[in-house]
Amino acid sequence: MAKAHKITGVKPLRSYSENARIILPQKVEEVYTWEPFIRDAARREELHNMRISIKRLRYTMELFRVAYGSPKTDSREVTAVDDKRFAEFLSVIVDLQELLGDIHDCDVVLEVLTDYGTQSEQRVVARGIAKRIAQAKETRNADYKTFLDKWEHLSAIDFKQKLLSFFGAACKPKTCY
Amino acid sequence: METTAPKIKNISPDETLEVCARQIIVNYFHQMMSYKEGAKEGRDIECVHDMRVTSRRLRTAMDNFGACFPEKAFNKHYKKVKSITRTLGAVRDLDVLIARFEKELSTLPEAEQTDIRGLIENLQQEHKAARKPMLMLFTKLEETGFETEFLEFFVGAVCNPDEGC
Repeated sequence: MAKAHKITGVKPLRSYSENARIILPQKVEEVYTWEPFIRDAARREELHNMRISIKRLRYTMELFRVAYGSPKTDSREVTAVDDKRFAEFLSVIVDLQELLGDIHDCDVVLEVLTDYGTQSEQRVVARGIAKRIAQAKETRNADYKTFLDKWEHLSAIDFKQKLLSFFGAACKPKTCY
Repeated sequence: METTAPKIKNISPDETLEVCARQIIVNYFHQMMSYKEGAKEGRDIECVHDMRVTSRRLRTAMDNFGACFPEKAFNKHYKKVKSITRTLGAVRDLDVLIARFEKELSTLPEAEQTDIRGLIENLQQEHKAARKPMLMLFTKLEETGFETEFLEFFVGAVCNPDEGC
């Protein structure tokens, strides 16, 4: 598993809100470092690394949600819209995490079944194991296709830029120094 | 299934990152440790899962907020949290596999059930072995006062605005 990218430019003595706008775009960029590899279904490691980076982005989004349209801040109308958009972005990220999670689960199951099947003293892999391997391969192919279709759709609507614009949007005067 | 994000109360977006970081890290730490006894017992597999997910959330918070704390001591605590995630991960992965194959069993013809039972037994042995490093780590952390040290550091350690971190 790849390490998390080192976050730079954090300002401990500035507001939580201002730092959200420094940290979140870096988390988005970490996810996209894996993009060049994902159109090859065999790049298991990179697909897994993208899943982990997406998880880190998700957890960071959940941490900073309060900095984007918390109902506690003054301008209720604006913040409600921001919170709704935040929830929509978060839901896409959770979706991607789950789709990549399904692919990873199949990869793990395939590895376990294959290892177990080949460690047996018999020459032929047991029928029950061979059938499960075939099923897992089929499911993996379908899950990969679902993920890639979703990813290509997001690319077509410029999801990354929308996400970055939203996260980096100018702070409300009250929350930034 | 992913655990829902734990609620962190009283975080104000106008507060300094340093103050919020301490509050969040301490909060996640308490939540992570609240699953420890259940994980040790091993009766409910969700305890290992919840503890692992919360340890990941804690690590993400620590990745993001590292600049708020003195580096050397921070890294020491970070490594310990990482080892918690790692040992729990080994157990959880096997919990998931065993549950998955056990669920499939009843849907299979008798001959295939025998093949899958053999696999499940194999995984159960691996699971037993994977719990040992986890339990050893918990014992070591208890003996070395990890919990107290961690909390003392994150409740008390802050950057000095005049001197930086």
